[in-house]
Amino acid sequence: MKTISVKVNGKAYTREVAESRTLLRFLREDLGLTGTKEGCGAGECGACTVFFDGRTVNACMVLAVEADGRAVETIEGEAKDGKLSVVQEAFHKHHAVQCGFCTSGMILSTRELLHANPKPSVEDIKDGLEGNFCRCTGYQQIIEAILDASGQNPGEGGLKHA
Amino acid sequence: MLSEFRYEAPTSRSDLLSLIANYGARAKVLAGGTDLLVNIRSGTIKPELVIDLKRYDGADALTWDAQGLVLGPATTINDLIRDPRVRRDFPLLAVCAHDLASYQIRNRATVIGNVVNASPCSDMAPGLLCLGASAVIASARGTRTVPFTEFFTGVKRTVLSPDEIVERIVVPAASAGARGEYRKLKRISGHDLGIVGVAVARHNGDVKIGVSSAAPVPVLVSGLKDSNTVDEAVAATLKAVSPISDIRCTKEYRLFMVETFVRRLWEETK
Repeated sequence: MKTISVKVNGKAYTREVAESRTLLRFLREDLGLTGTKEGCGAGECGACTVFFDGRTVNACMVLAVEADGRAVETIEGEAKDGKLSVVQEAFHKHHAVQCGFCTSGMILSTRELLHANPKPSVEDIKDGLEGNFCRCTGYQQIIEAILDASGQNPGEGGLKHA
Repeated sequence: MLSEFRYEAPTSRSDLLSLIANYGARAKVLAGGTDLLVNIRSGTIKPELVIDLKRYDGADALTWDAQGLVLGPATTINDLIRDPRVRRDFPLLAVCAHDLASYQIRNRATVIGNVVNASPCSDMAPGLLCLGASAVIASARGTRTVPFTEFFTGVKRTVLSPDEIVERIVVPAASAGARGEYRKLKRISGHDLGIVGVAVARHNGDVKIGVSSAAPVPVLVSGLKDSNTVDEAVAATLKAVSPISDIRCTKEYRLFMVETFVRRLWEETK
């Protein structure tokens, strides 16, 4: 066991963890922050995407001990003062959420994408989110949500006109 | 769940190298962890000790000196892509890097890790081979430099001894400005392991071709010139590779796609 101190969504935690514990399990089971999901557990699906020192990573592929002295941000930190973020609002409005399992990761990857590229093209969006799998929406509503969140015309497609 | 292991994160280079020397094959070095943690999870490997090399000073450095571009053991794939001078002087490396896995993985996976794993389908190897890059190998015994043409010895095998790590990659300044492209055959347009990968680089009249997933090790075809014909380039490449049939595709399809990519990239890089 090792003692680690880590900041999660701005709040400092000090905990004992097994060396073999992943950051994902630490967040979910030790801190109770279950918004971050485990899909494949092997870095393929992106359901466990979190910010680690300001960059998105797959939390299933990071050891909790590696987070000692580092800052982590999860979906629980996305809404501020009870108000959804712009990206969350857009996902809601465009029906970009169905079962919701991929949504935490999608939203954090979107935030990272828009940070580097405030007006992404559809190709940029596909490229930026290639590490996040959605098995419900077919991605169209997610792309529209991101276009809208970045102030671009999301077009006339999608479920909202069905 | 991962099997149990101990974890050390030495903060000095000498502590790192002596830990590796003491534990040898009983320890595994952790950089980005994108292969290591998958292999521990699947039970393929059960290290007694995991040694995190990211905490020593300068581990993640990406620097430029008289030799050229120097990458540290914790330099990530996205660090490489984000560096404007990499994109200007070694655009081929940025192209290869961008085809490697997904965005989140590229934020963690390291350039050195991608070559040290010595997977035949390494995305960084074809570009590094084309540009004449070398590995600077360190251990408590000292350092040595091995060009990547001599680094890989078989599937997942390299010249590294159990007490050694690749401490730096040096991409020579002499290759700066090389024009290059990389094409990777995948099952889907998103992130996937390569079925075949081909890089072509042109510089000062010389043409180099790097190939992944078409032999036990990444292959370099050198000795070609701008004055060669595309048929000669195809013939030299097909002579250098030795693909197998496996779960991802047949030997014949790999040979066909190696030829197709060489033909396309030969024109595109002119």
